[in-house]
Amino acid sequence: MNTKTLQKYRFLFAIGLTLFLGVIFTGGLYAAEKKGLLDAYHAENGVACADCHENENKREAVSMVKCLECHDVEELAKATAAVQPTNPHLNRHYNTGADCNLCHHQHKTSENFCLPCHAPFNFMVP
Amino acid sequence: MSKDTEKDNKAVDQYTQNVLQNGISRRSFLSCTAMGAAGIGLMGLSGFSGKNAEAAQESHCTEFARSSDGGATLNFMPKPEPIEDSDIAETLTFDVIVVGAGASGVPAALSAAENGAKVAVLQKHPMPVSQGNTGSGIDLKTSDKAGIEALVAKLMNDNNHRCNPALLRQWAYNSGEAVKWVIDRAAKGGATVEDQGSKPQFAIRKVNGYTLNYVTSFFGPKPYTTGDGIRALAKTAEKAGVKFFFNMPASQLVQNNADEVNGVIAKGRDGKYRKFMANKGVILATGDYQNNKAMCDYFIPDLKYFGRKQMDRTGDGFAMAYWAGGVIEPIGHTKMLHDFDAGPASMCDMPFLAVNRSGSRFVNETVAMSLFNNYLRDPENAGHYNQVFDADYMTTAANWPGGKLVPPEGLKNYMPDDPSPKHGVFESQINTHSADTLEELAKKLGCDPATFAASVKRYNELCAAGKDDDFGKPAELMAPVKKAPFYGIHRRVRVSTICSGMLVNENHQALDADGKTIKGLYVIGNLGGGFYGGVDYPLTVFGLSLGRCYTFGYMSGKHVAKL
Ligand SMILES: Cc1cc2nc3c(=O)[nH]c(=O)nc-3n(C[C@H](O)[C@H](O)[C@H](O)COP(=O)(O)OP(=O)(O)OC[C@H]3O[C@@H](n4cnc5c(N)ncnc54)[C@H](O)[C@@H]3O)c2cc1C
Ligand code: HEC
Ligand code: HEC
Ligand code: HEC
Ligand code: HEC
Repeated sequence: MNTKTLQKYRFLFAIGLTLFLGVIFTGGLYAAEKKGLLDAYHAENGVACADCHENENKREAVSMVKCLECHDVEELAKATAAVQPTNPHLNRHYNTGADCNLCHHQHKTSENFCLPCHAPFNFMVP
Repeated sequence: MSKDTEKDNKAVDQYTQNVLQNGISRRSFLSCTAMGAAGIGLMGLSGFSGKNAEAAQESHCTEFARSSDGGATLNFMPKPEPIEDSDIAETLTFDVIVVGAGASGVPAALSAAENGAKVAVLQKHPMPVSQGNTGSGIDLKTSDKAGIEALVAKLMNDNNHRCNPALLRQWAYNSGEAVKWVIDRAAKGGATVEDQGSKPQFAIRKVNGYTLNYVTSFFGPKPYTTGDGIRALAKTAEKAGVKFFFNMPASQLVQNNADEVNGVIAKGRDGKYRKFMANKGVILATGDYQNNKAMCDYFIPDLKYFGRKQMDRTGDGFAMAYWAGGVIEPIGHTKMLHDFDAGPASMCDMPFLAVNRSGSRFVNETVAMSLFNNYLRDPENAGHYNQVFDADYMTTAANWPGGKLVPPEGLKNYMPDDPSPKHGVFESQINTHSADTLEELAKKLGCDPATFAASVKRYNELCAAGKDDDFGKPAELMAPVKKAPFYGIHRRVRVSTICSGMLVNENHQALDADGKTIKGLYVIGNLGGGFYGGVDYPLTVFGLSLGRCYTFGYMSGKHVAKL
């Protein structure tokens, strides 16, 4: 984790909550019914739509580079080093560089990219 | 930029002639603007009527390549978007640009650097990536010339005579040197590698009575692979001055007014374009296209329901070479589908009873594992089958050809349910089981127990009768399955690679639809065509695929550096 950035966001979260909620609910689709998705979790943690979608009017796929503004791959690899049966953030195909979006989705259920090829790698992707 | 001379006056061989006539190029798949007199001329030759040629001019063809009979739109070949110079964040210049850091690209880069070129490698992945363990070549000094030619002839036969013999000979006469070089340079970069010599090639030590010896590189044992080996080789390359750019997928080639390729444009993860100019040439080594569904459905629809073994191989190199004027080998590409991992590799070609996913016998089991995919193409089977044998296999199968038996103690290494520590395997891929009843075994293998039991019963009857009335397997290879514990290996063949590609000459230079070299453009590895051509990749020379990749990387690197 990119600790500094995250702390900044946790702090901002308290002040910004109402503002963020406004954005979420105008988004309609992303409201309570989708509870448990990453967009909701990010919002709860003070990450606004605009933090990922720079262009408010053009909401499209977000490059992994964006995720790396707040998350650090080395720290992630450490954080999940003990995950069984294998570390999703440090693997032989991509080392620490796998595209986050292969597994984590923001507005729909995340997926386990490894599973189709490795039946035993049945970890749950948040 | 290139001093290399045209060879178009040379008589074109049968293979090249066929690909020029039937392959996929901008000539046969017109983009509207390319529709010229020459195009119509060729269509006339191959029997397309003028009406069909006109159909090709209809809409859509500005966005996608479209077939000359109007029937197909190659929507997997989107025309490269024009990129303005103002959108280029950075321009860098080298002598040679290698695209793809795999089994052929990394050797090509190092070879070019050792021959004096300033080299950059653009790699899609965050690191060099490749796969497999064994790569081979012929030891010229200790092999009969007639033996080398006999092996080339054997490979031609394996390829159903649909390949370019000049390319096979290029491998045959240069691979010993190239594979030795890869072993040496990878070891210098810290790889775990050995030369197994002729040992793994026991079946082809003599061909037509002539003697052959081999250089066989082995990166392993598993889970260590050529992927690790290629990363070590890349370290040696970096020391030799090669510059690597990771997370940097190339998206289009740059051509000058004379249509010579002199650069590559790549898009970094930051979304910015970078231009890499090449004084001498560009070597495309992006591997196959197994992860491009539309492209697979078009060129090799057999693969529709099979799993894959690689990722991100979306055929980028095909699109780049195609739009630069290159020719893709005609439909009916060669595939490689294996499973050496679920159980011992040495038992995969032994003719044990085999049943499909539901539990029915489906083939004369003397068929090699590498061909089983042809019987398991449907969505239900999707490459799954099971080898089944009983407690007596060490004696009943003791004299069978095609492999080597692993005793019950050793089978535990392949059993996910057995607590023993594993070694030399991919732990997530092992899938061998034992059970005291057939029903229990069927369940472990995922078969329908009733179907499975009926198949075994029928098979045992055929064994007792001493005649395989159902599939004609030789009686001496029929061993009943009746004594517990019963064993099953659940194999699942998946696409290791597709090994058909772009038309090249024996220097690995891409040819255009007129059979002329596209100056500045080299194509190697599985992106290169002309080396196979059969329905399936042949397992005659163990490690031919990697051996060919190393060899052509080594050769093309030298060739381009000397321009
Ligand atoms: C599991 C498995 C086991 C195998 N075992 C063996 C074996 O034991 N022996 C054998 O001979 N063969 C084996 N093979 C086949 C062998 O691995 C391949 O034939 C060989 O790796 C092909 O080499 P290549 O250079 O063409 O492509 P790869 O080695 O696949 O390299 C292509 C590279 O290009 C990069 N790339 C793709 N697109 C772009 C782009 N747009 N820009 C930049 N870079 C790009 C990719 O990231 C990749 O690293 C095996 C294959 C598999 C999957
Ligand atoms: C953490 C980064 C992130 C945040 C925060 C985020 N998005 Fe997204 N958004 C993505 C990604 C990544 C995609 C691509 C699809 C996916 O992975 O789910 C996407 C896609 C979209 C799309 C395109 C349609 C689709 O689902 O593919 C819309 C619309 C959108 N987001 C709206 C929003 C709104 C509204 C918010 C605020 C409530 C928001 N996003 C917050 C990352 C984010
Ligand atoms: C603006 C900063 C920011 C950006 C950009 C961002 N994140 Fe986050 N992310 C956070 C914060 C803050 C948290 C909560 C941290 C915590 O759990 O302590 C978080 C948590 C997560 C979690 C953990 C969810 C859980 O249940 O534990 C995942 C997964 C995640 N982010 C993925 C992504 C992906 C994928 C992207 C890019 C598409 C992305 N993030 C972009 C700030 C960001
Ligand atoms: C191969 C699938 C995969 C990929 C790719 C992936 N993740 Fe994860 N991620 C997971 C899984 C699985 C977990 C849950 C691990 C666990 O069980 O604790 C996780 C957890 C997380 C968490 C919570 C970590 C914590 O401290 O518990 C964050 C944050 C996160 N991922 C961010 C990212 C980002 C950012 C990327 C891209 C750089 C990424 N992930 C790429 C599968 C993936
Ligand atoms: C397209 C299929 C495919 C996908 C998707 C895939 N793998 Fe693999 N993986 C393979 C194959 C094939 C091998 C064995 C050969 C090799 O190393 O390439 C392998 C080998 C491995 C190994 C070493 C062998 C073993 O069994 O332990 C690990 C660890 C691994 N993969 C982790 C992952 C992780 C983590 C993911 C998800 C990010 C993933 N793989 C996604 C095909 C895949």
